[in-house]
Amino acid sequence: MPKCTINGKEVEVKEGTTIIEAMYGEKRDWPNGKVAHYCWHPSLSIAGVCRLCMVEIEGNPRLQIACNTVVTEGMKVTNQSEKVQDAAKWGLDFHLINHPLDCPICDQAGECGLQDQYMEFGKYNPEMAEKKVKKHKVVDLGPTVVLDTERCILCSRCVRFTEEVSKTNELGIFNRGDRSEIGTFDDKPLDNKYSLNTVDICPVGALTSKDFRFRQRVWYLKESDTICNGCSTGCNVKMYYNREGFFRVKPVYNAQVNGDWMCDEGRDVYKFINRENRWLRAKRRLASGWEEMLPGAAAKELSSVVKASGTKTALVLTGQYSVEEYENIISNFVNELKSKNIFHWMNMPEKANDFDGILLRGDKNPNTKGLLSVLQNHGINTKWSDLTAALANGSIETVVVAGPEVQAQFPDMKDKVRELSKAKNLIWFQSCKNADLDALTGNVWLIPMKSYTEKDGTFVNHAGLAQKFKKVTTVVSEALTLLEASELMMGKAISIRPATSPFVEADRQSDRVMLEHRKKNEFIFRRGSL
Amino acid sequence: MESKLLTEFYHLDEFRTLDGYKKNGGYAVLKKAFSMQPQQIIDEVKASGLRGRGGAGFPTGMKWGFLPKNNEPRYLLCNADEGEPGTFKDRLMMERAPHQLIEGMIISGYAVGSKKGYIYVRGEYHYPISVLNKALKEAYDAGLLGKNIQGSGVDFDLDVYSGAGAYICGEETGMISSLEGLKGQPKLKPPFPAVQGYLRKPTIVNNVETLAAVVPIIKDGAQAYRKFGTEKSAGTKLFSLSGNVVRPGNYEVNLGLPLKDLIFKLGGGMKPGRKLKAVIPGGSSAPVLTAEEVEKANLDYESIAALGSMLGSGAVIVIDDSQCMVDMLGVLTHFYHHESCGQCTPCREGTGWLNKIVHSILEGRGRLQDIELLIKVADNMKGRTICALSDAAALPVLSFVTKFRDEFEYFVREGHSKVRGVRHAEMHH
Amino acid sequence: MFQLSAEGLAEVKKELKRYEAKESAIIPALYVAQKENKGWINDEVIHHLSQVMEIPEARINEVFKFYTMFNQKPVGKYHVQVCTNISCALNNSRELAGHLCKELKTGYDQITEDGRFTISKVECLGSCGTAPMMQVNDAYYENLTPESAMNILRGMK
Repeated sequence: MPKCTINGKEVEVKEGTTIIEAMYGEKRDWPNGKVAHYCWHPSLSIAGVCRLCMVEIEGNPRLQIACNTVVTEGMKVTNQSEKVQDAAKWGLDFHLINHPLDCPICDQAGECGLQDQYMEFGKYNPEMAEKKVKKHKVVDLGPTVVLDTERCILCSRCVRFTEEVSKTNELGIFNRGDRSEIGTFDDKPLDNKYSLNTVDICPVGALTSKDFRFRQRVWYLKESDTICNGCSTGCNVKMYYNREGFFRVKPVYNAQVNGDWMCDEGRDVYKFINRENRWLRAKRRLASGWEEMLPGAAAKELSSVVKASGTKTALVLTGQYSVEEYENIISNFVNELKSKNIFHWMNMPEKANDFDGILLRGDKNPNTKGLLSVLQNHGINTKWSDLTAALANGSIETVVVAGPEVQAQFPDMKDKVRELSKAKNLIWFQSCKNADLDALTGNVWLIPMKSYTEKDGTFVNHAGLAQKFKKVTTVVSEALTLLEASELMMGKAISIRPATSPFVEADRQSDRVMLEHRKKNEFIFRRGSL
Repeated sequence: MESKLLTEFYHLDEFRTLDGYKKNGGYAVLKKAFSMQPQQIIDEVKASGLRGRGGAGFPTGMKWGFLPKNNEPRYLLCNADEGEPGTFKDRLMMERAPHQLIEGMIISGYAVGSKKGYIYVRGEYHYPISVLNKALKEAYDAGLLGKNIQGSGVDFDLDVYSGAGAYICGEETGMISSLEGLKGQPKLKPPFPAVQGYLRKPTIVNNVETLAAVVPIIKDGAQAYRKFGTEKSAGTKLFSLSGNVVRPGNYEVNLGLPLKDLIFKLGGGMKPGRKLKAVIPGGSSAPVLTAEEVEKANLDYESIAALGSMLGSGAVIVIDDSQCMVDMLGVLTHFYHHESCGQCTPCREGTGWLNKIVHSILEGRGRLQDIELLIKVADNMKGRTICALSDAAALPVLSFVTKFRDEFEYFVREGHSKVRGVRHAEMHH
Repeated sequence: MFQLSAEGLAEVKKELKRYEAKESAIIPALYVAQKENKGWINDEVIHHLSQVMEIPEARINEVFKFYTMFNQKPVGKYHVQVCTNISCALNNSRELAGHLCKELKTGYDQITEDGRFTISKVECLGSCGTAPMMQVNDAYYENLTPESAMNILRGMK
């Protein structure tokens, strides 16, 4: 365990740690002083090409790059000397001389490595008076990503990502010198299940997401962490949103779960939870058609239905809800209704154990493990065929379903709707619209649920790791969590939440983030007013 | 004045063939080498004071000593990617004496424990490559290469690899990348090639002339070799003389020979009516010397370094008083801009920037602050990159601008060359 | 679609086995393909080599575009490369290159109307002691004058 001094502070690190890793810190918060860098990325190999992370090491007249220098015992490192700061200033200027000044129309503005690091380490008196190099713009790289090679600073992070992480090798740097350009080969676009990570790690606006570009300025977005509900890996993610809805999802580092990455599929899940796809009101089927109700009132009304059918009530659960919700609703069934007719609806069971070797898993539920453990704790060990039989012989009167959030991952949705609608009473909890449910007749109640971004809870991932998540924001304030619905359905009272309209809840944490964004980008605002 | 230790028989056409080479003493040293312990050879090379002849001038024996002391497979690579403008000595050596290089490589391979070597030749050298290939075949057929060379128990395989046009492949790790089938981009150091080089195996990279020089060193011993040259710059060296001189060409001389002797005695001096203006003493990357500095310069590492320049590859480029220094710097900035591999930002962007500034001066659009800017940009490209190309691009700029500042200032002020009286566009048509 | 000839394919296969790393065969393979594709390389060639060599296109394309001896656009039957680096420039090679263009009524890096020549200015070819010089396809021609160079080219049919 070598000890070294970084900017005057003594630091002890693991054998083989580089200076930049020592500076970055285990919590990734630069506890010993920040160093400018572009090409270095903690989860990629060392390229050592941006030449920005220069540090001065006592006894070495030549500046060294922090990313390729291993800490040795007694090493004294600084990046605060004039010599280092001067190198960083010029390093940044070299990055900028051919970089277009198109920040006002660049999607990266506000979260751009060039902007941010220039503000912090830059020279502030550009001396480049020559014409800039012209390169390709608006290059369609594939289904997800657009490239602007003039903005590219050739840090090679994206190339290394496709070589080392996705192992798909689509990207390369072609030509040499200042004619070098990132690109794909003619007939092989950037098309892999992790392609959007290249956009995340691109420090500038060279790679932008087709899904996100031009839709929002980042300083108009709030951000909050949660867990991806796209599959059983349980990637840690950040959701970006504002009053108009959710706009994108990005990975959050978790060494145990997803490292720095997430899949493209997981980035799409924000779409279904936006308001336009959601049930806003509860609905009860009458002979004349659907009657809309307030969700809370509807759930309360259900207590007479389930109490009347008592032990003849069945509960069908998908793996898409939190451990806390499962615990509550299963306890209520077992204790209040004395019913152990509780069934696990597993979508695509034949693919449940698939794994692509990176992050994507065949079990497309965030909490299958959590559901199974709660079921086991209550001694419930049913098979779907038991339910099928019970529905056929009429020993089940009422079925309560906690339906899927990500319907796209439930190819058996139609079949299940048809099968479960054989019950005399069908009570369906779900967050998003569904045409098959809308087409049902008979005693049917559809109750809108809150999505995973609108509640606190716990998901247990494929490896049995329990991950707590916090509410990101509320989209449909009238909707219920499964826990609330369960309590109301049992005739219990729940604390009344104040009626609020969507997206106006003050989230102090996010407001602070937004303020920081504004502060960081003050110069853009200043320039904009010129 | 010439000292033909390596080039003694270069005038003989037969020296290119195995028989001719043997007839003139070739492959006799190999037998002696095999009778020595590998470490003895390394010690002899160390004692000889041989320094790398490719450009950096690093002591060869010391470089060999960096190899790990174990049985890990290792490679011996010959750097024949001769690309430093002004240099054409390796080409001569490969064309005139391919077996000398092969013999030097077998001995060196034996010394460092390598069983496999490559000669990486720049792709444009079709003819030298064909000569080498022929010589390799002769050597294999005669049992001088391959398994158990002439019953010695020593194995050594040797192959030729052709580059494809990239100056940067003359940098040893750029060459390794190229040999590995990648773009010829230099690799981060550490790890150094002696520890992790070609295919991440320990690797020694030596220049053609360096490897050939091992033959006379082993033949007559380190002390005999030290009789040539100076105390610190031992031996002979081939100098490639070019530019505005009457008899350009390769000259093998003792290190330490006065530079003016090479230019005026061997090279025949200036063309009638012309005066010496400047000399680039070690290939285009070396800082230029003024005519006054040439008076004081000797062709050894220390003397040239004392004048703030480098002996480099031994390419002596002579510039007479008819030449415009702004124009010549434009040639060099164009070259480094063309050849920067594009990996490190300061070099990728800096080489282009320098070239643009010099050419805007050449086109009559220069600003007075451009002269200072050239110095600032060049200063900040030095010592900031993976390899030395960035420094190589910066040094000529710094030396041209500071030593011939009046020509630059004149060009900026008047919009045309002080020497030629016209703008760049009118200079060459 | 570009396809290597049987001999070309055999040569590439041989190169694939020749070196410790199969990627080392990319440069030799590009030489073979360039010869068979009228002196230049395009996407079709890269695509074909990628399939033959089982190396991703992007890797081959990187190598192709890095080295100047691989032509990214068609060239004439005789590719005339005049060195214009310092030693040659000191010996009027730029004037020589301009003279060749003028005589052949062409610009740099273009093909003459009869398809015979492309004139290019290139960096140092290691022929500095015999400047000015030019490389025509694989061969060097040294110690040139504008007249002697034109005479050499006129002899190339």
